[in-house]
Amino acid sequence: MSGKPGYHGVILNINLSTGTSEKVAIPPADLDRFVGGQGLGMKILWDRLKKPGINPLSPENPLIFMPGPFSGFPVPSSSRTCVVTKSPITSPMKSDYRHASTVSYSNMGGFFGPEIRFAGYDGIVITGKAKELSYIVIDDDKVEIREGKRFKGMRTDVFDKVFLDALGDRRFKTVYIGPAGENLVPYASILHTAGRAAGRGGMGCVMGSKNLKAIAVKGSGQPGVADHQRFLAALEKARLALYGTAYAKSWAEQGTARAIVGNSNAGTEAVRNYREGTFPEADRIGGDAARRDVWVRDIACYCCPLACKKSGITKGKYGGIVHDGPEYETGVMLGSNLLISDMPGLLKAITVIDDLGLDQISTGNVIGFLMEAYEKGMIDRKFLDGIDLKWGSVDATLAMIEKIAARDGIGALAGKGVRTLSRQIGKGSEKFAIQVKGLELAAHNIQANQPRGLSYVTASRGACHMSGDNIAMQNRRAMLDSTGMCFFPTFEPALEEPMLAMLSAITGHEYDKAEFEKTGERIFNLEKLFNYREGFRRADDRLPDRFFEDAFTIGPKKGSVLDRSKFDTMLSQYYKDRGWDSETTKPKKAKLQELGLDSI
Amino acid sequence: MKNGDKSHEWTSLTRRGFIKGVGLGGGAMVLLGQFGVHGLAWALSGDPELKMVLVDYNKCTGCRTCETACSAENWPVVISGRKLPGLGNPRFANIRVHSFSPEVDVPSVCAMCSDTPCVKACPVDPDVKTNRRALYRDQVTHTIHNDPARCIGCQSCAKACATQRTGVITPNSTTGKPERMCTLCGGDPQCVKRCPFGAISSVEVRSDRKFYGLGPDKIAAELAKGWYGTAEFGGMK
Repeated sequence: MSGKPGYHGVILNINLSTGTSEKVAIPPADLDRFVGGQGLGMKILWDRLKKPGINPLSPENPLIFMPGPFSGFPVPSSSRTCVVTKSPITSPMKSDYRHASTVSYSNMGGFFGPEIRFAGYDGIVITGKAKELSYIVIDDDKVEIREGKRFKGMRTDVFDKVFLDALGDRRFKTVYIGPAGENLVPYASILHTAGRAAGRGGMGCVMGSKNLKAIAVKGSGQPGVADHQRFLAALEKARLALYGTAYAKSWAEQGTARAIVGNSNAGTEAVRNYREGTFPEADRIGGDAARRDVWVRDIACYCCPLACKKSGITKGKYGGIVHDGPEYETGVMLGSNLLISDMPGLLKAITVIDDLGLDQISTGNVIGFLMEAYEKGMIDRKFLDGIDLKWGSVDATLAMIEKIAARDGIGALAGKGVRTLSRQIGKGSEKFAIQVKGLELAAHNIQANQPRGLSYVTASRGACHMSGDNIAMQNRRAMLDSTGMCFFPTFEPALEEPMLAMLSAITGHEYDKAEFEKTGERIFNLEKLFNYREGFRRADDRLPDRFFEDAFTIGPKKGSVLDRSKFDTMLSQYYKDRGWDSETTKPKKAKLQELGLDSI
Repeated sequence: MKNGDKSHEWTSLTRRGFIKGVGLGGGAMVLLGQFGVHGLAWALSGDPELKMVLVDYNKCTGCRTCETACSAENWPVVISGRKLPGLGNPRFANIRVHSFSPEVDVPSVCAMCSDTPCVKACPVDPDVKTNRRALYRDQVTHTIHNDPARCIGCQSCAKACATQRTGVITPNSTTGKPERMCTLCGGDPQCVKRCPFGAISSVEVRSDRKFYGLGPDKIAAELAKGWYGTAEFGGMK
């Protein structure tokens, strides 16, 4: 116990090789400097991996589950868990280290992060490798590693039910991997409540490498706060800022699916493997159509007044229960990006991807790449194990998803992502292999959105649409993902002041806007230091040629394409403003001193 | 919301309104048909008006804000001599959201039963002065209270609640004494006030409401059939 308010001051260390667990005190200075969530997770990663080039699938690589200081308090939308590890997907162009890769982080909503705090921890760090497939049960102080061979190969939809029943108490909150994670598909995800995921960056693959099928957590405690009265007053204001507002209702009505039509109309959607920014059939897979034909419930994460998640049911050939979706990312990556506009078919693909435990974004991106290569005759049907992978084909998409998760035939190669695929195929396919540092881009297209291109190339985990379109946004989001609060309510300006007040009242560390962003900057720079040490340089901050060469041919942004020299100029300015060397991207000493990272 | 059932619309009907409706001839048969003879008997009885917390499952999103609001109000803290709401640890909440797979969330809360099977099950002899058992209905608030000094921790009340009604009453894991009876927060239920989705209301107790007095498993199964057409469930054990 650190005695610092707002925290337990304790990390739960679990070593699967030795089958042991222990509570470890967190240095109090780290709580002020790295907060929780993504930030504190990065500091733990930095401290545990003291040298570059460590194999991300080795027992040494920690898999870190982090709530933040908001987690476990009734703060609106304080539901997030940030999973942090060393990426099993990314790699630099050149490096001295065979297993060089970036940091990786992935956020999910739900109830897991708060429950970690109820159990008495500010985070869970898992290292080692179990001898056989296992799962962990944490019930306050009691930590058990149990053998779980009977769950081998189990898909997540069934597992979610079976596991809950096996635990015998529905108050347990669980995370788990599907067959894809067990099979070490690099872009495997970690699932929670069957429909929420830490999808990006290979979290499920690292979990699988540890022979860990699942974690269940339940707890009864809560940390104290520094200033109870101030917290309650700020909480009241935060609720007022969101409850019953048009803003909150808009999220409940359509969630992120609203943007499926919105971004198509704006020319910023991934369509036809990023060839276009507008999908003429977007309305068939958008929020209005889903509300009309699919959704039966609006679902919220812990204490969230937005309820952006949806569940529903479809009928017909592809019919069944839909745990979530379409959301913007899932709906676009498996919908417009593949020219699939059949709603039940789209939802079937989304459901199966979650069921197998794959990242929706990378999976949709990979299949889009293969569809284009197939259309262009760069690969034939034999290369695809007989799958007729035509644009818009739901059946072919479903067949490819199964192959990837099983690492069967073409699936083994496709599971390595578009960069590996394009290197194998050659014939100029690198141009439309839509990735940065080896991680596939998300559903935001950029021929008409240069700032989002900056987000993709400078993000710490490889192509990330959430990193932020400029330095201020990046710093802010790195910090936000360290608090446990979700990004979505923070577009509401009235939340800003009570959010800072709650954070200050909980932790006793005074956060104004400047301190909030400065802390985020420290976190972002620590990630940069890690990546730089692994060998990532400016040449790795590179977009595929498509965005500079293939102007949109349809839609309101027809003719749009990025200008290479303008983009490079923007990047040079970015590094300069960051206080990094614009040739190598190495953070300069002055910047590190300013952030207190010079002696780290 | 599709498939919206109309149960929440009943909440606007007060007892007085009910009696009035019955008295209006033409509408009487409709109302009687809806509520049955039991409803009429209750409406005409002289028993005190009982209030309860009612959840509209079609509006509930499973966010668990109600748990934190309940806990904060019923587990206050004293700071510098002032009583303030607590930090809302959901473990101590009297209302509890039961989450199932596929997505069904059922906030479960004391049904404020007019016939109090929990009190009837209490084996402690009634006090000579107050005529109360260890578990009793408070004459002012009409909520169920337990006298810890007289309670023997036999868990009979919890068993009665579990077999006959919601199963909300939970024995304390150490003492066996009953917990989680709704307090109605002294007349201003915080779960009602704090629900971001307006899914909870404070209404008169009426045993003929859909889902009245049922345990979360039964409610969940019923809801899942309507929403997803399935009876296959996780979280039932």
